[in-house]
Amino acid sequence: MVAALPVAVIVVVLFGGAVVTAAATTVRDPAGRWTLDVWREVLADPALMDAVWFSLRTTLAVTVLSAALAVPIAAGVRNRLWTKAVSVVPLVIPHLTVAVLAVLWVGPGGLADRLLGGLPLQMIRDRAGIGIVAVYVIKEVPFLVLLVTAAWGEATREREEAAAVLGAGLVTRFRFVTWPAIRLPLVTGSLIVAAFVLGAFEVPLVVGPSYPPTLATLAFEQTRAPDLAGGARAAAILLLATGLTLLLAGMAARVARRHDA
Amino acid sequence: MHSRSGGGSWMIGAMVLLGVMLAVLPLRAAADVWRAPAVWPQEFGTRGLAYVAATGSGAARAAANSFAVATASTVLAALLAWPAARLIGRRTRIGRVLFVVLALPLVVPPLAVGTGLSTWFLRLGVADSLATLAVSHLVYVIPYVCLTLAVGFSGDVEDLEDAARMLGAGPLTRLWRITAPAIAPALASALLLGFVVSWTQYGTSLAIGGGIPMLPLLVVPFAHSDAQIAATLSVVFLVPVLGLLGVAAAAGRHR
Repeated sequence: MVAALPVAVIVVVLFGGAVVTAAATTVRDPAGRWTLDVWREVLADPALMDAVWFSLRTTLAVTVLSAALAVPIAAGVRNRLWTKAVSVVPLVIPHLTVAVLAVLWVGPGGLADRLLGGLPLQMIRDRAGIGIVAVYVIKEVPFLVLLVTAAWGEATREREEAAAVLGAGLVTRFRFVTWPAIRLPLVTGSLIVAAFVLGAFEVPLVVGPSYPPTLATLAFEQTRAPDLAGGARAAAILLLATGLTLLLAGMAARVARRHDA
Repeated sequence: MHSRSGGGSWMIGAMVLLGVMLAVLPLRAAADVWRAPAVWPQEFGTRGLAYVAATGSGAARAAANSFAVATASTVLAALLAWPAARLIGRRTRIGRVLFVVLALPLVVPPLAVGTGLSTWFLRLGVADSLATLAVSHLVYVIPYVCLTLAVGFSGDVEDLEDAARMLGAGPLTRLWRITAPAIAPALASALLLGFVVSWTQYGTSLAIGGGIPMLPLLVVPFAHSDAQIAATLSVVFLVPVLGLLGVAAAAGRHR
């Protein structure tokens, strides 16, 4: 048990120290005086609310779509070792590579555009964030499939078969046997997905619109600002994104508990 | 083995589709001229490769930096996470607490953590080095390595180790003959995931790096301005990951 301490201490010190320091930069100016100027500036920025709604919309769309697709895909691949292994290949393809592929395939003048003589809708740099959602869904579904198939093993299958012998239909088996087994990894994984989508900005930078920004790209823009407080404003915006993640985590925990009852 | 679902055939279809989608990367990288509306390049050439190889572009330096940082942070994370992964895999109460502590960084954006760490490193006078980048990547590499490794320790590894101990095997023999083969697939997956997390890390590298060239930071500006260079850099970005995936798959098969 003692041997496990160093890693916990390293994570707590590095991560905890970083978050506390980042939070401190938002309430102290470079001279060390306490001030809420950074938060006032951030909250007064008209782009902030647009970024909050745009981030929430894209994050919820990615999370719900990925979870909804992951369960039937996991059901399809879980019985064979090779299909299980192959289904996680996209997991290791970098997000940025998928974003570049999206630009090459469905961007303006991209290959799909050329092959079909035009696309019915704009998917790259579109204001609805379709490109962002598409890239993240391609990347996150394999992650959730991996977690769900790990929990949907032999023991669950035996219980499903027992329930089937006792006359339980497909929906009843899923509701009372499968769902309780896969719920925790699916909800935990979906939260990790939501947190990642809220906080990462390389994909929106490549396939997202110039406006509205996501919270992460809005923070990234602040780091490029010429004034010294840009980093502090970026930290404040990202702490807001963390707050949203925790809010989503709370909601997910409530949903999971309600299903438990 | 059950085969109730038709998972095989649609899986093959999905993999062919993925292969076709990925194939456009080397094709675009090798296309010096590919004007719309042509669906096949007008002229092949080495402009993309020449850019990546040129010293002035910093691409080779960035790839070497990213590789060194990813290797160092992954190996360090695996060594540090090993004992914690055992506890988490055993599903003890302390293991569950460790799980939550180690998973916490996953809910905070990397740029926020990077901003805090860069302030720290500046105060300590150790900013802007590959070592600080590797240490900062640990915040995100450790959770993935540890939680994946824990899956390997959740099976019958400890029973096998106990049996070997009773038969007189020493610690090194147990590690080499029992533990290592038993958790090889989980260890390979953990190392692969850890490497990918660091190799593709954007937010922390941007905040901590102080201008040190790192591969992901180089790709973004070219995504819309020069498709050939974006595609070439993406191929460089993808090759080590696919190579490691092959190694991890082999480790899984030879269990």
